[in-house]
Amino acid sequence: MSSRAPLADRVRAWDRALHAVRAYFRQEGLHEVSTPVRLPEVAIEPYIEPVQASGGLLATSPELPMKQLLAAGAPDLFQVAPVFRAAEQGRLHSEGFHLIEWYRRGRDEGAVRADVEGLIGAVFAAFGRAPVGRWETYGFLGLLEATASVRLRGDEDADALAAAVPSAWRVDVPDTMPATARDLYAWTALLSSWSDAVLDPWLAQQPGGVHIVDYPPALAALAQIGSARAGQGSAAHRFESYIGGVELANGYHELRDVLEQRRRFEIVAALRRGHGLQPLPMPEAFLTSLEALPACAGAALGFERLLMQARGAQTLADIAIDPR
Amino acid sequence: MDVSDLKKNAKLEIDGAPWVVTDFQFVKPGKGQGLYKCKIKNMLTGSVVDRTWRSGERLKAANVESKKMQYLFSSPEAFTFMDNETYEQVELPTEVVGDDKYFLLDNIQCDVLIYNDRPVGVSLPSHIVMEVTECEPGVKGDTATNVTKAATVETGKQIQVPLFIKQGERIKIDTRTGEYVERVNK
Repeated sequence: MSSRAPLADRVRAWDRALHAVRAYFRQEGLHEVSTPVRLPEVAIEPYIEPVQASGGLLATSPELPMKQLLAAGAPDLFQVAPVFRAAEQGRLHSEGFHLIEWYRRGRDEGAVRADVEGLIGAVFAAFGRAPVGRWETYGFLGLLEATASVRLRGDEDADALAAAVPSAWRVDVPDTMPATARDLYAWTALLSSWSDAVLDPWLAQQPGGVHIVDYPPALAALAQIGSARAGQGSAAHRFESYIGGVELANGYHELRDVLEQRRRFEIVAALRRGHGLQPLPMPEAFLTSLEALPACAGAALGFERLLMQARGAQTLADIAIDPR
Repeated sequence: MDVSDLKKNAKLEIDGAPWVVTDFQFVKPGKGQGLYKCKIKNMLTGSVVDRTWRSGERLKAANVESKKMQYLFSSPEAFTFMDNETYEQVELPTEVVGDDKYFLLDNIQCDVLIYNDRPVGVSLPSHIVMEVTECEPGVKGDTATNVTKAATVETGKQIQVPLFIKQGERIKIDTRTGEYVERVNK
């Protein structure tokens, strides 16, 4: 027996959440756009597999086209974008979903992190739910040490990481992995092991919301690297936000250094080669536009996961709009 | 096969033995590796273990073929089937048949799974109709609520059924979940 509400209720809830999202951003002065779903190029990311679509790729995120608009002179933007990621299926994963994605020019990741709190609060209020409660912010390395007693500096290479982590987490870097991708492999493997064994259960216990900030440079993705916000040394100006143990959002102070961005895409491309995954085109048009990208911060928040939380649902299937 | 092809009932060869995925869960932290958390059952011994694979790993699919057979009879040690084409009889050890024994009606047609010439499992039709041999008296009219009662069907399996089901009636059961589906009118 399903715990799903009838379709009519699910449709009304979906519509209500969408209204609340749009009202929040309009009030904040952002402008709604809609970028193409089929793209010639997408960001090359370690474990996000695009769906091929007759000569193009379905958007895994609207990040590149939105940044290209900003580079060409667009004002602050938001959209609720359909995105597709092959072979992701589970309680909290679906091959097709919607990302709420937004950008603020002239701001850093702290501003869009505040938006995450504001947006979640607005959608919860639309459902008559009490606010999330207190939001806590933790540095990545500090939280790793506090929850798992693993002490790292953040700049370890693959061999140093292997020596520092608990034996149950140790994952050998495959022999097929090119030398340039070994550190990225080791850090992403560590992130997954920590999340699964320790972090996710810990997050599920937290009464309010949690932001994790100051990611190790190897996990910077498309964020700038600078001095750590919460701790010491240098860190990626990237954050992830969780409520009820569910990851909802990811944001960056956006990288604008073309050479550094190309270098990072090449590392990920090497990691993909090491796994024997399909090669993806280097996002040349995006890299060309990056020179003109104004200083900005952006974030992405999963619409369906937010609706799940607002409705107190346990799975994506419980809130999905489908005729079943 | 790629790890992303993993799903429930996928058959894998690990250290020379065939395994079937009995439970499957996908988790993935933001921008981390996906974890494919599985329970897998050794198709030769029936033993079940937890196993987690990561994004990018490669697996070997087990070469398991299925043959149409008819179930004949059982002993405490084994269940005997007959190949529809060759009339050859094959035996499947009781521990390998496991809880599927509750769906093996006399003479039922099913697929017997063969791995390296060795029968290693049975694949049942997704739904089977069986007679209720024992249950509390039926309650008339209560077709709307989710309240259930215990019943026993002809193979000895215990199952939860709605209150209106009566002894001697035939019901459809989902062999994958072992749950009641609907009443079957004769």
